[in-house]
Amino acid sequence: MTLKEKVLKNLKRVMDPELNINVVDLGLIYDIEFPEEDSVYITMTLTTPGCPLHDSITSGVRYCLEEMEEILKVEVNLVWDPAWSPEKMTPDGLKQIGR
Amino acid sequence: MVPSASANETNIKLPFSFIFVSMAALMASQILLLFQSDFLMDSQFRVPGIWSAAHLFILGWALMIAMGAMYQLVPVAFLTPIWNETFGFIQFGVTAIGTFAFAHFLFHDPQNALIPGIITLIGILMFLFQMFMTLRKQARPTILTLYVGTALVCLLLTIGLGITMLYSMKSGAAADYYFAIFKSHLLLGTAGWFTMLIFGFSYKMVPMFSLSHGYSMKPAKLVYPFYAGGLLVAIVSFFTESNVTLTFGLLLQLIGFAIFIYHISIILKKRVKKKLDRSFTFALTAILCGGLIHLAAFITALTGVFSKVVGPLLMMYLFFWIAFSIIGYLYKIVPFLWWTAKYSKEIGKKDVPALKDMVNDRASTPVFVCLVVGIFGVALSLFIGSKAVFITGQLLFTIACFLFCFAIAKVVTK
Repeated sequence: MTLKEKVLKNLKRVMDPELNINVVDLGLIYDIEFPEEDSVYITMTLTTPGCPLHDSITSGVRYCLEEMEEILKVEVNLVWDPAWSPEKMTPDGLKQIGR
Repeated sequence: MVPSASANETNIKLPFSFIFVSMAALMASQILLLFQSDFLMDSQFRVPGIWSAAHLFILGWALMIAMGAMYQLVPVAFLTPIWNETFGFIQFGVTAIGTFAFAHFLFHDPQNALIPGIITLIGILMFLFQMFMTLRKQARPTILTLYVGTALVCLLLTIGLGITMLYSMKSGAAADYYFAIFKSHLLLGTAGWFTMLIFGFSYKMVPMFSLSHGYSMKPAKLVYPFYAGGLLVAIVSFFTESNVTLTFGLLLQLIGFAIFIYHISIILKKRVKKKLDRSFTFALTAILCGGLIHLAAFITALTGVFSKVVGPLLMMYLFFWIAFSIIGYLYKIVPFLWWTAKYSKEIGKKDVPALKDMVNDRASTPVFVCLVVGIFGVALSLFIGSKAVFITGQLLFTIACFLFCFAIAKVVTK
């Protein structure tokens, strides 16, 4: 398993509490970069710019990655452009939402 | 890619303070109303007990809960932090003391209700100042800002007119305009403040709770001029005592409300979440009720019987539209608040409950059914003049309010 796959697997532990779907299947994670050997840079969004769970979800992403042995530094960049849309959800995510 | 704004979370104690005190006011107002059956059966609405219960319900419950919800919703909806939280806690204390003292004086000594009324006014003015200072920091005002801003202006006017009425009663000044001021006070307090506020926040909450995307916001720009224009025309009609002008004002409001319903239906058609929560569905049903009441108001004005049915219509507007919207949304807002306080630092570290685990959404159905049956019973009793029907309906409504308060209070045990 590559480091990127490990990061994605860990990120699946972070659930959107309103929808009860993880951030990966919801399509909130736009990009995963490794600027240095032990650091990760996550570019992500939320389903809506006024999402009340703004801080909780981004902190959750940070916490779950900081727990990984391979990662020492986590940076989360929250973006609104491009905006999230249902098309960004994985087939698993769509299934969980009843579509 | 465009980076987001910074964190905007509010200290949870602030909205919770408003919400819990408001629930005490809700219970007090409904229990007080239970003992006002004789006056209500005689269509005597302007008596101390009913004044007190009405102000406890509107100022103590609906206004306090709206303030609490705004302390939580404004930062997330407008991506702007609250201007001064400490000021918010002081405002809470002043408003709570003022409101309960005002209700007390209205019941026991209405002639001396001016001072507690002024304390309430100071509390509300502090809230308006807080919101003004918060909203002016918003980087990019939206159509929602216009709705919420107008609602706040209507609140200011409502309170100003209420105090003018008290002064008029005490001094006899502006006695010729007393009823026009009274009607404007009721209209701005209900259709101005609450409806504009619910419109504004519905545009945020409906897409959020239904996960709707890709809808147009253009109809919102049509709703506003029709509805706000309708309010203005109706107020002019109160001072000119023109039924034709009033009918026209009610028509404008009806058109505005109808466009709002149509717009919400468009938003819901674009939803990703197929199955909506029951409590949220209840808030959506309240929108339909609001539209029907506006339709009834227009038809009765057109047929010349508006003045005879305005009391029951206003009561239904307060309960079926305003109260039911608030109750429906509160079932979503309070679990979120408590979840944020308790679990936002745990997410990603360990398994945390979902928001639906924080409140029993299924158990909300009997509460809603009892609320609806209870209010229908009360409305029916006013039409047929039956004291027994009133007491049964009001008792059912009071029990449902208690179950609602219990469900909300129970969230903090999760």
